[in-house]
Amino acid sequence: MKNIYLLIILLLLNSKIIFSQDYYVYVAAESEDEVSLIKFNGIEGVELEKIPVGIWPAENEGPHGLTVDPNGKFWYLTLAHGNPYGTLFKFSTTTNKVVGKTLLGLFPASMQISQTTGLLYCVNFNLHGDMKPSTVSVVDPETMTEIKQIQTGLMPHGSRISSDGLYHYSVAMMSDELFEIDAVSLKVNRVLKLNNNMNSMNDKIDHTHMNHKMTHTKVKPTWVTPHPSNNKLYVAANGSNEIIEVDVDLWKITEKFKTGKGPYNIEISPNGKLLVVTYKSDGSTAIWDIALKKELKVIKNKRNVSHGVAISSDSKYAFISVEGVGGEPGTVDIINLETLNLISSVNIGKQAGGIAFWKISY
Amino acid sequence: MKIIKPIILLFIIIFSFESYSQDNNRIVSNIQDLVLDVDESFTPSSVTMDDNDNEVSCNNMIYYSRNREALDVNNETGEITANLPGFYTVVAICIQEEGKRLRKDFSVKVNYPPVNKIKISLINNVLYTDSYIPLTFEVIYEKGFIRNDVKFNLTSSNDLISIDNLNNVKAITSGKSTLTAEFEGITSSIVLNIKKNPVSYIELKSNSDEARTGDVFQFRAVAYDKKNVVIGDAPIKFSYTGKSFDKSNTASGLIEKDGRFVGDVAGQYIITSNVGNISASKIVNVIDRNIKRKFKSIGIGTVNDKHTSDFWVFEGVDGRDYAVSGTWGADGTTYFWDVTNPSNLIKIDSVQVDARTVNDVKVSEDGKICVISREGASNRKNGIIIIDVTNPYDVNIISEYTQNLTGGVHNVFIYENHVYALSNGEKYYVINIDDPKNPKEIGKFELGKPGQSIHDVWIEDGIAYSSNWRNGVYLVDVGNGIANGSPSNPVAFANYNYASGAHHATFPYKSKSTGKFYTVLGDEIFPNGIDVKGQNVTAGFLHFVDFTDLDNPVEVARYELPGDGSHNYWIDGDVLYVAMYTGGVRVVDLSGDLMGDLYKQGREIGYILSGSENAYIPNSTMSWGAQFYKGHVFYSDWNSGIGSAKLEPIKPDKTKVSIN
Repeated sequence: MKNIYLLIILLLLNSKIIFSQDYYVYVAAESEDEVSLIKFNGIEGVELEKIPVGIWPAENEGPHGLTVDPNGKFWYLTLAHGNPYGTLFKFSTTTNKVVGKTLLGLFPASMQISQTTGLLYCVNFNLHGDMKPSTVSVVDPETMTEIKQIQTGLMPHGSRISSDGLYHYSVAMMSDELFEIDAVSLKVNRVLKLNNNMNSMNDKIDHTHMNHKMTHTKVKPTWVTPHPSNNKLYVAANGSNEIIEVDVDLWKITEKFKTGKGPYNIEISPNGKLLVVTYKSDGSTAIWDIALKKELKVIKNKRNVSHGVAISSDSKYAFISVEGVGGEPGTVDIINLETLNLISSVNIGKQAGGIAFWKISY
Repeated sequence: MKIIKPIILLFIIIFSFESYSQDNNRIVSNIQDLVLDVDESFTPSSVTMDDNDNEVSCNNMIYYSRNREALDVNNETGEITANLPGFYTVVAICIQEEGKRLRKDFSVKVNYPPVNKIKISLINNVLYTDSYIPLTFEVIYEKGFIRNDVKFNLTSSNDLISIDNLNNVKAITSGKSTLTAEFEGITSSIVLNIKKNPVSYIELKSNSDEARTGDVFQFRAVAYDKKNVVIGDAPIKFSYTGKSFDKSNTASGLIEKDGRFVGDVAGQYIITSNVGNISASKIVNVIDRNIKRKFKSIGIGTVNDKHTSDFWVFEGVDGRDYAVSGTWGADGTTYFWDVTNPSNLIKIDSVQVDARTVNDVKVSEDGKICVISREGASNRKNGIIIIDVTNPYDVNIISEYTQNLTGGVHNVFIYENHVYALSNGEKYYVINIDDPKNPKEIGKFELGKPGQSIHDVWIEDGIAYSSNWRNGVYLVDVGNGIANGSPSNPVAFANYNYASGAHHATFPYKSKSTGKFYTVLGDEIFPNGIDVKGQNVTAGFLHFVDFTDLDNPVEVARYELPGDGSHNYWIDGDVLYVAMYTGGVRVVDLSGDLMGDLYKQGREIGYILSGSENAYIPNSTMSWGAQFYKGHVFYSDWNSGIGSAKLEPIKPDKTKVSIN
């Protein structure tokens, strides 16, 4: 009898062996005003559903940022263009219908929800017209209320939360700065200049009065992501073609890794081993071994403008959104992170951009 | 039985992973039922309690207001500052250990300050018996808040006036009566000096006994006393009743307080003027406008592999006629057409740029330069593209200009060697193209308001008409001289907005028949969003605003097609050519004074449905824009490309109408 119990438990624990796994990813098509739900069965990806999005139908409103609630019940989308402010939408993952929305700032882009505070932090990229410091919007996703806009730098992007949920990181693309926001006090905690060679700057100055016109954009950081289990941040330096490693404790640049052309978005596998970075200008995606500090492989994407990265929660697959040019469709390239091979590509609407991993189902 | 036991165990195993301890901790705060006065601040004291009312740890508390403008809340300390009277919600979120959170909503009431006074105003000081007295009431609070939506207690000092349940006040008997309004213990009074109605009779005349639907009658009423002396300040009111000639239809029209009347439906109308219980009436006949003409599609330039956007027809330097059309949500293609023969529209060239939508296209007055807008460029720089169209059969891109236009250019205009390009739906930049290879930004116009937005700009006679959604139309001097403006120094000098906030396009129009100057303001509304691959529902209409007095624009008329919404349009002479999206291209008579509902008045001359069988979406009309050019009406259709149509000549009009 004991053997039967043992067998049942073993089967339960190894259910992945006998049940197939499906991976689900949401991807925004920025020039199509739609979001696609992609299902991947470990072999092939398919577009499960197209979800039209937007408010002003005759205008291209640019769905840009995507994130899924930690509980998987809702997904969130930023519409970059508005009149003039962009909008954050909340959708049910059950129905893919809108259940709430709120106005944010100019060109709201990438975002993430803190598991600790439950709040959503979204950068307002504001890439239009005269450059001026923009903000990070803080939203309570339960009531869809914008609580506060926290001023940061010029064209903030790459909104990611520390694994303890207590800090928000973003980079200012046109002022070469890394911002740390206290996710609870909702204030800028620290600013690090990224264009000073290896020099640390523990900047506690009130940033609202900084003269941003005197900035350089050599580094042009477009993304920052914290390591899930150590004290490192990784910044995509799109202008200087490098990944910048920052020690959070020291608040100091500790390493720079030369990359291919135009590193753009970065994600780290949940197991903390691999760093996946899109080389936007090269139309490729690179897989880095974080411990070895080594670029393991560069994989050519199916189209020419590589954009976002989402990695499955089991660290097995990376889903890359690839924009394409002009009338080309956008594409989601799926990379096996064990074999480092591109194993499937799914065409979606034009200018595939924001991408978020939803779930694995068995 | 042997199999049941392991199954039970299996369930226990499974559900043991799902179960978790439920706690009933809660936030307790003295924000609960907080009542504040305007400008008062309050710093809350909040704790978290367990079931047994023991205080438990809360690492951090985050507070926020669901209406930051009215009720300001410090996110860390929770300090609440009341800015505006009303009822609001403050949310407190407690961040506990291990990512656990508690939250609670608290209602906060902000009192109106004490009432300072009640203001009662008489709209007209002449008060006669048997007349309703025109009054307005306002409650003025301390700190300057004003309300006019409260229910006052009205009383009078005597029976000379009556007050009904809706607080309408009527003069009954001559003499002095004091009307008192009371609200929250504050009272205010006004003495009403009521005179016996001196009017013995009213003489009512009109400029005509008969007119067509849509034609405006002018009624003039003069009040006389018993001695046949004119009472110049008599408060004369106008009203009408009517009966349609068509028994199944309803007579309708509009009468203004200055005695202008327009009938929408053919019928007999009784116009009445009155002062108190003295009145005079006059009957007029309204006959059908009878202006229908055949409006026929004569040529189609098919684009059936993508959506078509805006277009522009122009005379080339070789004297032939050409058109350019953009594409929407596609591959950045712009098409050039030879339209010299409107019944044979020939696609002659195209350019493809890095964009998904080329929403707008315009050509310079000399037919040499075309500018196209870009949205959805893969490098997100968007901007505009300047094209040499000297030879429309072989167009060439001269330059790309993206500075300050990266947010996308939705609409553009060319005027006297300057491109007016919208930027990110917020503002427009003025770009000099004297050297089209090297465009230079020389000016910009923006409202400077939070949330400023813009959809279109149109230039005529040195005046830029910008369509700013909820902020309405702005008339901006960009070289006219009326406000000392120039392309490098645009100066706004007039504005009009309306409630729906859906103002997307403007066409300036000076009436040939009346000399009045209007701006025609168009809505753009998709009530149910858009289906890019199917049929759509559209709404909205054209607002006719009399701008003859620039300081006092008055919205006087509308063109609203039931069931179909407005988009782009053109006026030539006194005729409107309007693309009504799903309603096709409509031709509307604008002659004479404009007042009321132009569609109901039968002013529509004709229409075509611009959908076609061989289309991107077959047989689905979605008219985008219309342009009257050399006797033909050209149009673009979102689903099928471009086309041309012709209005057949006017039939001899045998109706007898005499307007004096």
